[in-house]
Amino acid sequence: MIPKFDYHAPTTIDEAVELLNTLEDARVFAGGTDLFVLMRDRLVRPKNLIDLKQISELQQISFDERNGLRIGAAVTFAEILRSEVVKDRFRVLWDAASVLADPVLRNRATIGGNICNASPAADSAPALLVLDAVVEVAGERPREIPIGEFFTGVKRTALKPGEFVRAVRIPTPPPGSKGRYYKWGRTRGEDLAIVGVAIQVNGEKDVRVALSSVYKTPIRIGAVEKIFKEGGPVEEKIKRAVEAVRSNISPITDVRGSKEYRVHMAGVLTERGLRELLEVK
Amino acid sequence: MPEYSYVGKEVPRLDAVEKVTGAALYTADLKFQGLLYARLLKSPYAHAKIVRIDTSKAERLPGVHAVLTGEEIPYRFGIYMSDKYMLAYKKTRYVGEPVVAVAAESEELAEEAAELIEVEYEELPAVFDPREALKEGAPLVHEGLDEYLHAPFIFPKAGTNIANHFKLRKGDVEKGFKEADVIVENEFTQPMVQNVQMEPHVSIGQWHPNGRIDVWTSAQSPFAVRYLLSVGLGVPLHRITVRVPFLGGGFGGKAGLHWEPLVVLLSRKAGGRPVKLLMTREEEFNTAAVRQGMYARIKTGVKRDGRITAEEILYIWDSGAYADYAVNIARAAGYSCTGPYDVPNVKCDSLTVYTNHPYGTAYRGFGHVEFHWATERQMDLVAREIGMDPLEFRLKNAALPGKVTPTGEVLADDCGRVDQCLKAVAEELGWGKPREKRTENGKLQGIGIAALWKAPAMPSYTSSSAIVKLNEDGTVLLSLGLTEMGQGTETAFAQMVAQELKIPLEKVNVVRERNTDTAPYSWQTVASRGTFMDGNAVLRAVDDLKRKIKETASDLLGYPPESIAIADGYAFVAREPDKRVSLAQIATCGVLPDGRGVRGPLLGYGYYTAEGLTFLDPETGQGRPALMWTFGAQGAEVEVDPETGDLRILKVATALDLGKALNPLLVKGQIYGGVVQGLGTTVMEEFIFDEKGRLLNNNLTDYKIFRTQDIPDKFVPILIENPQRNAPYGARGIGEHPTIGIAAAVANAIYDATGVDFFDLPITRERLWKGLKGVKK
Amino acid sequence: MSKHRISLKVNGRLHELEVEANKTLLRLLREDLGLTGTKCACERGDCGLCTVWLDGKPVKSCLVLAVEADGHEITTIEGLARDGKLTPVQQKFVEHGAVQCGFCTPGMIMVAEAFLRENPNPTEEEVKEALGGVLCRCTGYRQIIDAVLDAAKEMRKAST
Repeated sequence: MIPKFDYHAPTTIDEAVELLNTLEDARVFAGGTDLFVLMRDRLVRPKNLIDLKQISELQQISFDERNGLRIGAAVTFAEILRSEVVKDRFRVLWDAASVLADPVLRNRATIGGNICNASPAADSAPALLVLDAVVEVAGERPREIPIGEFFTGVKRTALKPGEFVRAVRIPTPPPGSKGRYYKWGRTRGEDLAIVGVAIQVNGEKDVRVALSSVYKTPIRIGAVEKIFKEGGPVEEKIKRAVEAVRSNISPITDVRGSKEYRVHMAGVLTERGLRELLEVK
Repeated sequence: MPEYSYVGKEVPRLDAVEKVTGAALYTADLKFQGLLYARLLKSPYAHAKIVRIDTSKAERLPGVHAVLTGEEIPYRFGIYMSDKYMLAYKKTRYVGEPVVAVAAESEELAEEAAELIEVEYEELPAVFDPREALKEGAPLVHEGLDEYLHAPFIFPKAGTNIANHFKLRKGDVEKGFKEADVIVENEFTQPMVQNVQMEPHVSIGQWHPNGRIDVWTSAQSPFAVRYLLSVGLGVPLHRITVRVPFLGGGFGGKAGLHWEPLVVLLSRKAGGRPVKLLMTREEEFNTAAVRQGMYARIKTGVKRDGRITAEEILYIWDSGAYADYAVNIARAAGYSCTGPYDVPNVKCDSLTVYTNHPYGTAYRGFGHVEFHWATERQMDLVAREIGMDPLEFRLKNAALPGKVTPTGEVLADDCGRVDQCLKAVAEELGWGKPREKRTENGKLQGIGIAALWKAPAMPSYTSSSAIVKLNEDGTVLLSLGLTEMGQGTETAFAQMVAQELKIPLEKVNVVRERNTDTAPYSWQTVASRGTFMDGNAVLRAVDDLKRKIKETASDLLGYPPESIAIADGYAFVAREPDKRVSLAQIATCGVLPDGRGVRGPLLGYGYYTAEGLTFLDPETGQGRPALMWTFGAQGAEVEVDPETGDLRILKVATALDLGKALNPLLVKGQIYGGVVQGLGTTVMEEFIFDEKGRLLNNNLTDYKIFRTQDIPDKFVPILIENPQRNAPYGARGIGEHPTIGIAAAVANAIYDATGVDFFDLPITRERLWKGLKGVKK
Repeated sequence: MSKHRISLKVNGRLHELEVEANKTLLRLLREDLGLTGTKCACERGDCGLCTVWLDGKPVKSCLVLAVEADGHEITTIEGLARDGKLTPVQQKFVEHGAVQCGFCTPGMIMVAEAFLRENPNPTEEEVKEALGGVLCRCTGYRQIIDAVLDAAKEMRKAST
């Protein structure tokens, strides 16, 4: 069973901030698909839970060319998958949403929850990393955190006590850019990632790669970008990029897979993805 | 007149509508007045002395009605060996073993109370590898092995960790190996896995103040539960009633006895209020029974012409903390040890070994999934050694009618045909035809085959019975002791009853709940024995009912009973069909023209007892263990991505000689489901422990079972029907068989595709990749 | 622990109840409303057997708080068949032998029904993907997938 707690459902951001800052041992949640499992397993036992779903702003997806995409923290992955603009312009994120958990869970699991849970295996995180997303933070002093600085450790984020994620903002990728997310699990059916690789490509010179499940946080591999900025034959660059990915990650061995296999698969998925997106046979 | 031909037809399940509407009530769905909820405090240590238990805080918590420790309930239970306490007594033997049980007014309170209990342990040296456990000086899991009661066909060794040592000696292996041109020896392993039936174990028990005991439970075998409760608690059978409502799967994991005694004892302590224990999924993995692990070593002697001359086989079963079914699994695997082949000289030792793992029990296949992994891999490896085609090698040594099994049984002419199964599967796979192994995108394809056999594993003296009751309106009620856990036997039996009585199927109902007070006895719902044994009992019950119908009709019609026929709801004179009386008219008694009643309510009873089986010789294993053999073969076509280790299962063909398919729709369901369970064992399922014996993947996030996307692209079920004369319509059991050959078939196909051999299960993506590493592409 | 008055519609019927914060929708349905057709087999979102619809969308009710359902409309397996008439999906499950022990059947059907409303003409791959969140240990899924594909056909016929 889920242990005891008090439930609160504020309807405005301000109200939520106030509750979070006044209630003892409080946590916010949106979908609850991660948090309730942690609570049932007694891994966390907050006294107060603040449900963000009554705040209508957090449920919105909006897009305009200039400001880019803004996804409220409580937007579910099912809604993200229904968004044509995400599918057309932010394909790497759409891909990630399409392989995150399973179709039923995606009706509850939210993007805010996925990044705040801060699992190294979070499928949306590599996509947000290659898209240069910015996390809008609500708190007594609202602020923004670049996604690259958001994850600080296993299940740890840069959020301070009293803060929560309000939205994720993503700049519009240049026309003609492409992205995909490649996930590898133990099985063909639903599984947590052994490795996930997000790739965003804007021509041969702007290539970004980020991964899940291979480091204490989701990680973007800066070295890959350097390799592609430089000149040289693309075949050579792909080879070096794969090397760069493999040498910049440090996965753990657990019940899902060994370090060795994760390192290997990180390279395989990177290579396969780069070939697909750069259209190199 | 309508034909009433149902046997062999694809009739939907009788209970399907209840299940698709959510109306079907399972044990956890039942409501009770004053129900208390049980929770368990479990051992964090694999092997530890219990130094002190302080339950005082839990007992003081308002709403807590009973707190029990092992000291208070020193009763031992066990289906073949009485080695298990309901709560750890003096010491714990595995991580997850219940140490204290609490019953409270809500689940939440019970959980809270369990958290307030303090237990002090003194860790003891533990043993996890059954081969280590066999060594001298290994920690003893059961010091008191010699005190335990056990079935006469189980051979424990006091002072060791051996719970059963089954020995089989046929012919002279030394001589056999001398005759051989080539000797091939290999080792194979398989880890512990779990049944993962969707409905977790749940039991509700009530020990009334007058001494009567009521149990509602998710059990496959209500009569076994009642009997074992009676023996363990010293309460006579007529005071115990066990009821089984709808069952959400079992696959062996709900056979025998599980937590029924614990809820009953909690109820006694709580003054007779009903107590419910519903296992969490984590407890299903950590605390409830699992499938034992296996180590196998097989040495095969073979002539260049492909004749096997001798086999020496060692099976070691990791039974975990308690023997449960594992002792009989060692025996069943032992007497079937060669697989479906005629091997003249066999030596087999099959040992059930205690360790500090969770305890092993029955799981669909009863040891056969495990040992066929070894024997059917070995067949391919031996064939390769002598340069023979693996199919030809199998056919050459096939256990055909007239051949002799490892226990000395001469196979009867109607026993079923493994050769036909093998050939059918081979044809489906395009065996022997040239094929491209490498696909355009660098994947590797291959095919593999395996043969299988299994007989019901049970004591030599089990029985089943059935009752058919004629209702006042001419409808019929079939009462069984066999349970329905999804396998569909109820529906097949209703088809038989309708056909035999020549009435519409809609007029036959099967009593839903199994209640030991009112249901006819059936030993257990296990071993793929139901169709054969309970099916024969049903046919005999129908015969009995028909005889009685004819007697009443004879009295009314004035013709001898032998001249009377039954069809379409009437009993009539066969040669003069207009002289008739309806079944409705005679159901309670016949009425003569002057108003007098004759005869009485009509009820048919039938039983079937396993025929001709014997104990096996303790030293040689010779004797007659098998009521029937069901033979089969399975084939797989696979595609391997050598770069990732991804395995795509393109096709699985399964041929079973089932004698007669009573309901092909349900048979196919058994085959699809069995194949997928077998594939789970093959590619993804395994218990992963840390060095302290703690299970690291005790939930369905970390322990994967097949989902929709994992299944083979194509299933090909092939039903071969060589009827068995003493079986109902010739039908043999097939519930377990589709799980048995698949692991070896897939591994043989992987070898065909890649040239790499696997000896250990499961072949996960990662292991497949590792196995292929360094092999040139 | 906080208690909350909630009102929600379940299978078209309005319920007003007081619930404790930690009560899940699954437990509310099974324990308080007697709707035991919805099954529980893991209580951590893995198995999908507790799937019900929340405002028409399938959710795993073990991971939804009862208080979160306040003001919403819930449909369970008991709410599908009207006047004893099975839905095409239910009917096809019966005909195809897609049911064995029946424990996963309610969750499977709730997901399949919702899926076919969104995608009336699915491919086999799409059906597999849609059902990927519900576990079954008996059937090997083959007859379930066949039943869903056949139900889709039936529903398309009915709507033309």
